[in-house]
Order: sequence, then C-alpha cells, then structure tokens
Amino acid sequence: MAVPTDAPAPALPKTRGVQRANELAERLEKLLGPDLFPEGARVQPTADGIPTLWLASERVRDVLLCLKHELAEPYEMLYDLTAIDERVRHVRDGQPSSELTLVYHLLSFSRNEDLRLKVPLEDGASVASVVDIWPNANWYEREVWDMFGIRFDGHPNLRRILMPPTWKGHPLRKEHPARATEMGRFELPDDRYEAETEALRFVPEEWGMKRSTESSDFLFLNLGPNHPSVHGVFRILLQLDGEEIVDAVPDIGWHHRAQEKMAERQSWHTYLPYTDRVDYLGGVMNNLPYVLAVEQLAGIEVPDRAKVIRVMLCELFRIASHLVFYGTFTQDVGALSPVFYMFTDRERVFEIIEAICGFRMHPAWFRIGGVAADLPEGWDRMVRDFLKWMPPRLREYERMALENRILRARTVGVGTMTTEEAIDWGVTGPNLRATGFDWDFRKTRPYSGYEQFEFDVPLAENGDCFDRCAVRAEEIRQSLRIIEQCVENMPPGDYKSRHPLATPPIKDRTLHDIETLIHHFINVSWGPVVPPGESHFNIEGTKGAYGYYAISDGGTIPYRLRIRTPSFPHLQVLPLISRGLMIADLIAILGSIDFVMADVDR
Amino acid sequence: MSVVAMLFFIVVLLFALLAAAALLTWVERRLLAWWQDRYGPNRAGPFGILQAFADVIKILLKEDWIPPLADKPVFVIAPAIVAVTMLLGFAIVPLAPGLVIADLNVALLFFFAMTGLSVYSVTFAGWASNNNYSLLGSLRTAAQMISYEVFMLLSLVGVVILAGSFRLTDIVDAQRGMWFFVPQFVGLVVFFLAAIAETHRLPFDLPEAEHELVAGYHTEYSGMKFGLFFLGEYLGMMLSSAMIVTLFFGGWLGPPFLPPIVWFLLKTAFFVCLYLLLRAALPRPRYDQLMGYAWKFLLPVALLNIVVTGAIVVATRSPAEVGS
Amino acid sequence: MLANYLPILIFVIVAAGLGVVLLGIGFVLGRGQKDQEKLSAYECGFEAFEDTRNRFDVRYYLVAILFILFDLELAFFVPWAVSLDAVGLFGIGAMGVFLALLVVGFIYEWKKGALEWD
Repeated sequence: MAVPTDAPAPALPKTRGVQRANELAERLEKLLGPDLFPEGARVQPTADGIPTLWLASERVRDVLLCLKHELAEPYEMLYDLTAIDERVRHVRDGQPSSELTLVYHLLSFSRNEDLRLKVPLEDGASVASVVDIWPNANWYEREVWDMFGIRFDGHPNLRRILMPPTWKGHPLRKEHPARATEMGRFELPDDRYEAETEALRFVPEEWGMKRSTESSDFLFLNLGPNHPSVHGVFRILLQLDGEEIVDAVPDIGWHHRAQEKMAERQSWHTYLPYTDRVDYLGGVMNNLPYVLAVEQLAGIEVPDRAKVIRVMLCELFRIASHLVFYGTFTQDVGALSPVFYMFTDRERVFEIIEAICGFRMHPAWFRIGGVAADLPEGWDRMVRDFLKWMPPRLREYERMALENRILRARTVGVGTMTTEEAIDWGVTGPNLRATGFDWDFRKTRPYSGYEQFEFDVPLAENGDCFDRCAVRAEEIRQSLRIIEQCVENMPPGDYKSRHPLATPPIKDRTLHDIETLIHHFINVSWGPVVPPGESHFNIEGTKGAYGYYAISDGGTIPYRLRIRTPSFPHLQVLPLISRGLMIADLIAILGSIDFVMADVDR
Repeated sequence: MSVVAMLFFIVVLLFALLAAAALLTWVERRLLAWWQDRYGPNRAGPFGILQAFADVIKILLKEDWIPPLADKPVFVIAPAIVAVTMLLGFAIVPLAPGLVIADLNVALLFFFAMTGLSVYSVTFAGWASNNNYSLLGSLRTAAQMISYEVFMLLSLVGVVILAGSFRLTDIVDAQRGMWFFVPQFVGLVVFFLAAIAETHRLPFDLPEAEHELVAGYHTEYSGMKFGLFFLGEYLGMMLSSAMIVTLFFGGWLGPPFLPPIVWFLLKTAFFVCLYLLLRAALPRPRYDQLMGYAWKFLLPVALLNIVVTGAIVVATRSPAEVGS
Repeated sequence: MLANYLPILIFVIVAAGLGVVLLGIGFVLGRGQKDQEKLSAYECGFEAFEDTRNRFDVRYYLVAILFILFDLELAFFVPWAVSLDAVGLFGIGAMGVFLALLVVGFIYEWKKGALEWD
C-alpha cells in the first residue's frame, strides 16, 4: 500500500484562483489604466487558490484605494501585510524579479474571498504607506520595516515595533543570524543597560502629544510592561487628564520570540510545537492552521476520523481559552471569585486533553496529515461527563457575572466599537461578532469538516465590553454542542493520512514494504520534503482569525512562514476605543479584548 | 477605675486588637478560599492558623525601605496614622456594661474624628510616595472618603434622634425595647455602605484597586510600614463592625444565657464575615459610579431618613419615653 | 468633665507608642540591600516620566466643595438631633426650612451637571 489512498493535490482551487485573479486584473486595468503590473507575470498560481496579483510598487495605493472604495463588493479588510525576502529563493517560476516582496492580504466579506497582492521591490526601496486607507496598516508597516527594512513613505511614525529601538539589522532578512550562537555573546554591562532603558523612554512629542494644557499638566503613566492587568508583558503609555485618558500608545514587542524566524530553521514537522506557543491558551488550535496550510501545499487529504478528532480538540481548547477569558475579565472588573471557579472547570478540560494528548497546555498533538495518535480507550466517557457538568456551571457564571449589576454598569457601553471600525482595524473573531457582524470562518469557509456540524454563531449588537464577554460565554455553549456531535459521530478509520508526506507516517506497514519504510526514514530523519509553492490557511481560532502563510522552496524547512494572529490588530484598536474613558475602563477593555501577548508579538 | 487598672485594660485591649487583626488575615484567607473552592493557608499549625503569625514575623523582617524621591517624614508617619487612629476608635466602643475605656458623652463624634483623621494617612501616603499610581490612589481616596464620611454621619442622625444621646452606652441602653436596625434600617444600609467605603474594602477598594492602580496609595510601601496600613485596614473593618453592632444591633444586648461581651463579640464577628463575603462576591464599580451613587442616591436617602425619623419621633413620643 | 478624657489621653499615648514601636522594630529588623532598581519609583518597570507633583486637573475639588457644604449642614444636624425632644415641633419646622433651602441648592447643582464626573 505504498500508493496514497487519498486524492492527489487538489488542482481545482489553484486554477480557480488564477481565473479569479485574471478577472480582477482585467477589471482593475479597465478602472485604473494599463501600467498596474510589473513586467513579467501579473497572476501567480498558488496552492491555496487565493487570487494572487503582482503589482508595480508605484501603483499600489491606487489599486488598494480602488479595491476598498470603488469596486462593487469591495475588499473591506486589510487582513495581513508582510514581506518575503526572495534573495535566496530558488523556485520562483513565472514570478517577476524581486529582492523583497511586499505582500498585502485583503479580505472581502461580501465576496467571501481573499486577495493577495504582491509588490516586487529592490532592496532599500520604499513604498507608499496605506495608513490612511486602512488604519491598521500602521502597525503592519512598522512590523515590515522592523523585520525587513522596507520603508513606507508617509507613515506617521515609522519606528521599530517588535525589536528594541537599539536593535541592529532587520531580523527576517535572510542574512540576519537566526541563532544566538551566530551572534556573539550577549552582555549587558551597566552603561549598556542604561542606554537601553533610556532608549525606551517615552517622549510624548514623538507621538504628537502635548505635555500640558493652559490649566494643567497631563500625567503620563506607564501602564505595564509589569502591571497586574495587562495580561502578560505589554506596555501602554497613557496621557491622562485627571483620571481621564486623553490618549494611549500601546507598546508591544516584549514577548517577541521570532516565531517566524525560527520556522526558517526547523523542519516542517519539528516546527509544530512552536505553533502551540503562539496563542498559548489555544493549544492545538494553533497547530490546525499550520498543518492545514502545509497539507494544502503538499496535497494531503486528511481522513475523516482525524478531522473530527481535530475539531473536538480545537473546541475543547476554545472552551479552555474562553474560560480563562471569562475569569480574568470578571477579575479585571474587580470580582475576585469567578476566576477560581472557571479555572477549576478549565482543569476538567485539561484532564480530557491530557488523557488524549499526554500534555495539557501545549500538546503539539496535530501532525501533518492527521493527529499524533488514535484516541485512547474510554475517552468518550470523560468527554460525556464533561458535557453533563458544564452547562449548569455556565448558567451559574451568568448569574454571577453577566447578570451582576455592578459588572454591567462597568462594561455596558464601555469600549464600544462599530462594525465599520472593527473591519477597518482588522478586528476578527468574537470581537468582530460582538459588533453584530456575522462572520465565522467555521461557517463561511468550513475547514476540517465543520460544515458537518450544527452550531450557531453567537452575535451581539453594541460591540462594547459586555458584548465581547457575552459572545464568548455563548460560544462556550456552542462548542459544547460541537463536541457532543463529535462524541456521538466519531467516524472509524485512520487517525492519520497514508500520504507519503504525512509525518511521521503510520508505522504499521513500515516493515512490510520498502516504500513506506523509505518514507518513514526520510520523514523522520530529514523531515518531509514539501513541494515548492505558497499556501495560506485561515481558521477561526480562540481569539479571532489565525492565518498561516507557508512558503516552500521545495525543501524540508519552510522558506518563509508568516503567522497572522488576531491579537496584533486587536491591540492596535486600543487607543481608539479607550480615549475619553477612565483608567478603570481601560482595564475592562483590556480584559474584554481577550489577547495574550505571545499572540501579539509571536 | 484606677489609673493602673485602666492602663492594664488599655494594654490588654490593644494587644487583643493586634492579635485579632493578625488572626483576621488568616480568617479572611480561609473564608475566601472556602468560598472560592480552594484550600487557603492550611500548613502552619492547626488549620494553618500560625500562618498569621508567620506573616507578622515575615513583615517585620522585610527591608525597611523608603523611596529616595519620597517625602521621608510624611512617608514614615502616614502608615502610623491609620493604625493609631483606628486603634483609638476602639476607646469609645462599649464591649459590655462598664467595659469601655472612655464612656464619653460625645463618643459618636469622637468616632468620626478618628475616621476623619485616618483619611490623612492615605492621602499623605500617596502624596509622599512620589509615584503616579500612589498619587492617583490617594486622590481617589481623598474624594471617596470625605464623601462617604458625610453619609456616614448623616445615617446616624436617626439613631441619635431615637436615643437622644451621643453616648454609646446610652444608645445601647435605648435599644432594650427594639434594636435600632428595625426603625433605622435605611440608616443601617447607608452606614454599612459608607463604612465599606471608609475602610476601602472591595467592592469600594478603589484607592488600592490592584487591577488598575497596582496597589494604589501603598504601592511604594513595604515591610512594617506596609504592615501598618494592613493593620489599619483590618482594625477599621473590626471597628466599623463593632459600631454597626453598637448602633443598630443592641451592642452587648442579647438573651442572658451568654455573657454580654460574648454577644458583642459574636455580633461583631458576624459583620466582619459579612465584609469578607462582600469581597468574595462583588465586582468593583468605577470611580465616577461610586461617587455618583454616593451623592445621587445615598445622600437623598439619608436626608429623607432623618426627616421621616424626626417627624415620627416628635409626633409619637411623649417626653417620658426619652432614653434614660 | 475632663477626667473623662484621661483614659483617652492614656490610650493615645499607648497607641502612638505602639505605632512607633512597630515602625521601630521594622526599622531595626528589616534588612536588605539597596540597588539601583530599588531606588527608583515603581512604574511598571520604567523610570517615571517626571516628578509626580505637578499641576493636575482633578475634578475632585467639586467633591471638596460638596463635602464642606454638607459637613457644615451636619454641624447643624447633630445638635438638633440630640435635642429633638427639647425643640420639638418648632425644631422640626426650623430644620425643614433649612433642609428645603439646602435641597433646592443640591437639586440645582445636580441639574447643572456638577455631579457628573466627565
């Protein structure tokens, strides 16, 4: 049984993507004139079927403006913005010459379609900023500058965002060392310590802030990185007038671990455990977009049993993550007790996860092609017990938290975001649904078999702190429904694909035929050799939309791996929704956004 | 009482109060743990009770530290103010008939003088620390505490009308027929809320709201100076519970199968536990909500209570019924 | 009369002494080493921007005014309450007039938005 039983690479989405891209290119040419595209190719086929266009760097702004404002069924959201250092890439058939390629990833809700726009750049070139088109481009452009050294003309404050201000070099460029051993010894003598601290000093004028009005001085307050309520290492600089927040500047990067750079040093298989640490409350939910992107690239079809197991574990982790949110959020508004009850329940979730995966918070249990092992005996009993246990507890929490008058007074109407603002700022997931916008990747683009499940997408109306909590509370119920369906309908069959690139391969045939033995040997010793190409996959994670953009150069390690996380844009909205409120409101907002810094900084 | 006997009584009372405050930290942690499905401190001694004393020793051994930018004398004095004023408050609390250090005819006013002085402690601490979080905490405190002090006193005017005296023993005696929480229920509610705000305990712990201001006015404090703030807080809790019992729940009065002082202590313990339960149960309102609630709700209610009480008393009472 | 306050005086001395002793014990027993980080004010790991004692627009001064107002009012209430039996119906009437004036002022203040904190 050396031949994979599953279907070969899905050719269909690839051609559809090319076709859609061609249509769009013609439409754009009609609207904006002929010189939009660089010489060479303008449409690039990709494994994920996302229409991919190459754009000339001078015309990027025009095209983006048109795509957002003029097109019928526009591309409303700047979903992601990143770059690729192409200088040592081998397989670039049909792509225009480029040293650094800028990649805009747009999302159209009305079309339910993504669009990838690539801009070829020479090293040292700059490109026009699009901050005035999408406000969330601000941080993305700073990140690209920080990581690749691409300048954005017209950016209001182009400075490093993830790396310390004193850093030399741009880490995601290929010449930048990836390991500490390549960098020389790290030392922090007193004078350097002082210089580093001094470099981090906040200068209000750099951010266009005044230090005082005629009648009083503003108080500038460091909230974080070491503060009880910032959920990790996160610094917000507050400009205060009394207790009122005049303006706020979030400062991130304290939790940056170069997840994307590490991917360029790990095999496709051994990178898996790193993904768990991106949203450290989401556990295997983080594995999912990664393995889905790689499977899409490699053309692996995952057996049904593996799909359902994945869904079940993801939903368990969604519950675990939402319970942490629920507890910490109520604690942030001053209720001390609920967090203990919720963590106790989370412990029950972890017991199930531990029984299945052998790990609790970071199981790294999904594999390219399936999951690591089959479900243990008696798993269903544990899950059923939990399904019985949880609903009355949820009712109790509602009485304790959501129906509490003080909590309502603290959260209703606080930190309000409209749907338009949310989309403009790249907000996804429960925070977007709290504004009343019905968008859930599990429904709109079912993956891993979600189309087979019955569940509702909870919505709210006002997009305030209370709604963000209420939506998540209800999502726990819906996740329970999904898990129940998993238990009732767990399909039989393999827990991992028998595709040659599934890693590590199911071992039962290794000693019976030479080909599976070879696959096993290669995948385990080198790692799977993934065919060259590009593949992006979105999932509906615990905190919003997660997207992994995997680029293979035909080797055993990713050429580039972009991790699009929801918390990054979510934190960027903070000043917008907290201006004019009080410090206590800011804390409620921070709690309600539901972020972890590992997810922001990666 | 001879001076020596009085001195003895004072010293015993003070040490009893210190021990009770230390013990209360343990009680609080155990009760919170119980309500929150946890264990709480359960290792040192039976039921972990020695934890309280271990903490005292620890706090004494902590580095005695003054931030270099602080206003040093004020920084040092501030924590002592709250501890001392709260201790002084107990001077006028009648534990049982005859068992009171000073049975003043203006005892109630003395109590307010002491709580009023304790405001300085927090304000000084926040100002002297030269720390933004402390400053915000102390500003909140100043506003919160002086506001709620108004209602605290207003809420007791009804009690004074009924008893016709400021002397606490008179007030307790006047409750022989009926404890004042019945006719003065509104007063009780206002007083209790104001007392929580005065001792800045959750849900009204805005001066130190740890989720917002890290530790508020005592952010820069450590060691015994921090310990004195802590002591002041727990003494304040006990003092206001004792005052609630004295003013509304008949003080030492109770069925004769238990001695009066036991009744008094039991009732006080009940209200202390109520304090702790509130901490476990409620979220914290925002600063403006707290102040709005005070001025827009408690103030009118307290005024109304006074008018109604006064009118009823004048209308129904013959001079003979006036408390002895 | 003043004899009543003798216990208070003793109590004040003993309690204050206790406070001093406690601080003293902490001063004597507390050990530790100073380093640069300890010597800076806590501001979430950063040096504070500037001295915190600057002009600061707090809307608390309204509260202070309200406080003075009602504290003065209390100064009238308290003797009135304790002697209500003596002043009787006349006292009720007088206080009613006083209170009415106060309440009118309070309502005016409320309507003017002085009690809104934004």
